[in-house]
Amino acid sequence: MAKKEKDKELTRRQFLRFGIATAIGVGAVGAGITYLSTKDTTNGENMLRPPGAIANDDFMYACIKCGLCVQICPIDAIKLADVTQGLSYGTPYLNVREQACDFSCGAMQCVETCPTAALDFIQFKRVGEAANAKYEQEHPNDLDYNIIAVQLPAMHAQTHMGTAVLNTDTCLAAQGKGFKGAPRDANFKGVYASPEDAKKGLAPYPVNEHQFDRPICDICVTECPIGETAIIVENKIPKVLDGCTGCGVCAMICPTEGPSITIKKA
Amino acid sequence: MLFNKKKRTEQPLPAKRREDMPNVREGLTFKQWKAKHAPTHKWRNKRWAVLLTLNTLFWASFAFDISVLEGSLSGSRFFGIYLMDLFNSLQQIFIRTRTGNFGMLTTNFFIGIGVIATFYFLAGGRTFCSWVCPYHFLAENAEKLHNWLVKKKKVKEHSYAVGVKYVAFAMFLLLAFFTKQLVFEDMNPVGIISRSIIYGPSLLLLWVLGLLLFEIFHTKRFWCRYVCPMGVTYSAIGKYSPTAIKFDLDKCGHCRDCQDVCLVPHELWFVKRGEATKEVHYAGADCTRCGLCVDTCYGGALKITVKGVDSLL
Repeated sequence: MAKKEKDKELTRRQFLRFGIATAIGVGAVGAGITYLSTKDTTNGENMLRPPGAIANDDFMYACIKCGLCVQICPIDAIKLADVTQGLSYGTPYLNVREQACDFSCGAMQCVETCPTAALDFIQFKRVGEAANAKYEQEHPNDLDYNIIAVQLPAMHAQTHMGTAVLNTDTCLAAQGKGFKGAPRDANFKGVYASPEDAKKGLAPYPVNEHQFDRPICDICVTECPIGETAIIVENKIPKVLDGCTGCGVCAMICPTEGPSITIKKA
Repeated sequence: MLFNKKKRTEQPLPAKRREDMPNVREGLTFKQWKAKHAPTHKWRNKRWAVLLTLNTLFWASFAFDISVLEGSLSGSRFFGIYLMDLFNSLQQIFIRTRTGNFGMLTTNFFIGIGVIATFYFLAGGRTFCSWVCPYHFLAENAEKLHNWLVKKKKVKEHSYAVGVKYVAFAMFLLLAFFTKQLVFEDMNPVGIISRSIIYGPSLLLLWVLGLLLFEIFHTKRFWCRYVCPMGVTYSAIGKYSPTAIKFDLDKCGHCRDCQDVCLVPHELWFVKRGEATKEVHYAGADCTRCGLCVDTCYGGALKITVKGVDSLL
């Protein structure tokens, strides 16, 4: 067989035929895939793009699905989507109900590591530098200040993965109820460090080991890594403000069965 | 090349006389000569070791959180140095010329392209395919099954013009440009397998399985030979590479066993009796430097060499 196969000369006409078949095949398959992969079939709740993600139209081509952001995240918040996730195959996402972004890595590492700027670090660099410039103007004598500590809150505030939405029907605070114990069941694997922990320099630890005892439940407010620009207690119920970054810590630690606070995708 | 036939600019050398062929020269019949020189697996073993080590390193870097080879085959970091897949990057640049946000690309992106392009220029372009690509590894083993089925006359051999891969390459680039999507990456078995190894299996592995089954039961090495635009990109990079398969007409017995094991037999056109135009030929750009032909060559007519320094080695 082999000799005959090897010596078969393919004519120009055959090349044209195969070429046209290939062009049509690739075109049809490609168009189908494009149609399927641009469709976001999630309900837009709690399934978010990582911090700093550019507009979805641009994100779709900018992301090369390498997974460097997945690898660098110290709390494994970022995952790569399979075709069943309702997002484009291979693109990164966070399911914040399972594992929120608590900003505990301290440097927006996933954004900085992205080689194709699908997660765009330039915007964070800009606000960070602006924050430093502002600090230097306000404290002209403090030249040995911690640059990072000044930059980071501004960078965190620049993040906008989504916005928290409160469901007052199920919210414990709206019903005047308190909360005691650990917010999630014993098998829950999510971790985070509260603002208090972060001040003490603690690394993120399991949600189950965070114990609360509140006469009126307000843990989404106290545990928010952004603080009072994002969520406050008003008329005894939590109120989400414009500063919300959609990090999802509140959605992760909400003790009600279906979370009473969810993140709507930006 | 587009038509599987090398355009000849030079006249072939006159065919060797039987007495000049190495097998006859040693006073043996061709069969005896062949039996004396059993094929080895020297290059294949080296290659598989490299391929499996690299893919294991990708997996281990994530599984054990060690910063050796992070990322996947579409983009990665080797001890902190970025590496970018070239066809992916080409699509990026293509789409960004249209959308205009070219300036957003990071320095690391261009470093990644530079490192990979330089490395594969020196190593020989499609070296990526046979030495790194996990799909090549699967397809190479599936090919054995295919060959067995052909031998048993269970399936028929099919072949097409090798030039159709340039049509596929152009189509993928055009699709990327018009849809503003990395269309190829959604069906790229290389990326799918690489990601499945590192981040856990994907449902798209079924597509890869389908491709392999098609290669087993229909067209030998369908994806690598006729479609893969990554291969086209790497072959363009390695066209003038110093690392190449060197052919020595003097040692050739024209048995053409090398063409039977080769992924791209048209690049070994000169082994047919009466075709060679020079005493020494180098295999062309599509050659993956896999070394299968070197392992199988009874007379040692084929060697992997680095042009310019091979005389020193």
